[in-house]
Amino acid sequence: MSSFSISVKAVALAAAFGFMTSAASAQSLSVNAEQAMAAIAAMQKYAKKDGSNPSYAVLDRDGKIVLLMAGDGAAPHNLGLAQRKAYTANTFKMKTIEWRDKSAPGQPEANERSMPGVIPLGGGVPIMVGGEVIGAVGASGTRGGQTGDTDCAQAGADAAAALVKRLQASN
Amino acid sequence: MQNLAKLLAAGVAAVFVVGAGFALLQEVVKSYTLQSLSDQDISVEQALLVAQGAIDECKKSNSVVTVAVVDRVGGIRFVLRGDGATENDVDVARRKAYTARTFRQATSKWLERTAPDAVDAKGVPILLTGQRSLDNVIDRAGGMPIIYHGDAIGGIGVTGSKGGDMADEACAEAGTKAIADQLL
Repeated sequence: MSSFSISVKAVALAAAFGFMTSAASAQSLSVNAEQAMAAIAAMQKYAKKDGSNPSYAVLDRDGKIVLLMAGDGAAPHNLGLAQRKAYTANTFKMKTIEWRDKSAPGQPEANERSMPGVIPLGGGVPIMVGGEVIGAVGASGTRGGQTGDTDCAQAGADAAAALVKRLQASN
Repeated sequence: MQNLAKLLAAGVAAVFVVGAGFALLQEVVKSYTLQSLSDQDISVEQALLVAQGAIDECKKSNSVVTVAVVDRVGGIRFVLRGDGATENDVDVARRKAYTARTFRQATSKWLERTAPDAVDAKGVPILLTGQRSLDNVIDRAGGMPIIYHGDAIGGIGVTGSKGGDMADEACAEAGTKAIADQLL
């Protein structure tokens, strides 16, 4: 078979798929830099009340870094933890404090913990808009441990989501 | 039997030498003031101001950039990926900041200094190209050190501006100027 006929077949196949799906490009909402900054501002407000200097991460819907910030005097592990918490919340679409219990040893989903980059620690919260996860926030280093980190990250996720919703309302 | 005596003598001598060495070490330690080392480092608030300064400067030319600020040991203090930028840009910005911090100079200057054909004022080859193969550095302009009393307490790296790497560096410099009054 000549390479010409192979390429003809490939084009025909691609065309067939093209008819099957709509020709529009896929669109997906993802957290942007401004919304990430709003999340950080809300979390800093929480930290100030808490009297702590946590580290934060905001990831987009693909789990890629939008924003990282290491707190003053943070331990070397804090920023990495914040990022992994955010990633875990993003990929499992739930608060990491819930996923921590859901994936505990002996649970049916325990093997989820073997995924690279995840961490079973509270402090990661997905950014939800219209039931859709558009990114995630992670915090590490509040006084309240995993519960405090979760509350802090929730404040950040809420602030980012609020900004997205305001933008949608104005459009 | 004679061997054993020799061994014993050597052992006793060794104990004395080690003992004397230890005493000397104690004297040296005493000559220092017994305080822990305290370093100046860039704060989160300063990092935010520097990053904001750079972003604002780049905005003047309608550039959406990615910015990284590293602390005195070159670790990430702050990173913000510009809308539409890729994760590579995050790493490029971080490396620019790291390079500026670790060599305490604008990365464009470091580029000139580490060029394969770089020569000093007398025309003597500098031969520092090897520095470019260090981990975490990048041979691109766009990084500026943050200097406090001659001490590099951090660095900023910018990438993605429309004018290329030198425009990135102008934005980075504008960023450091945002906290100039705090660095006097």
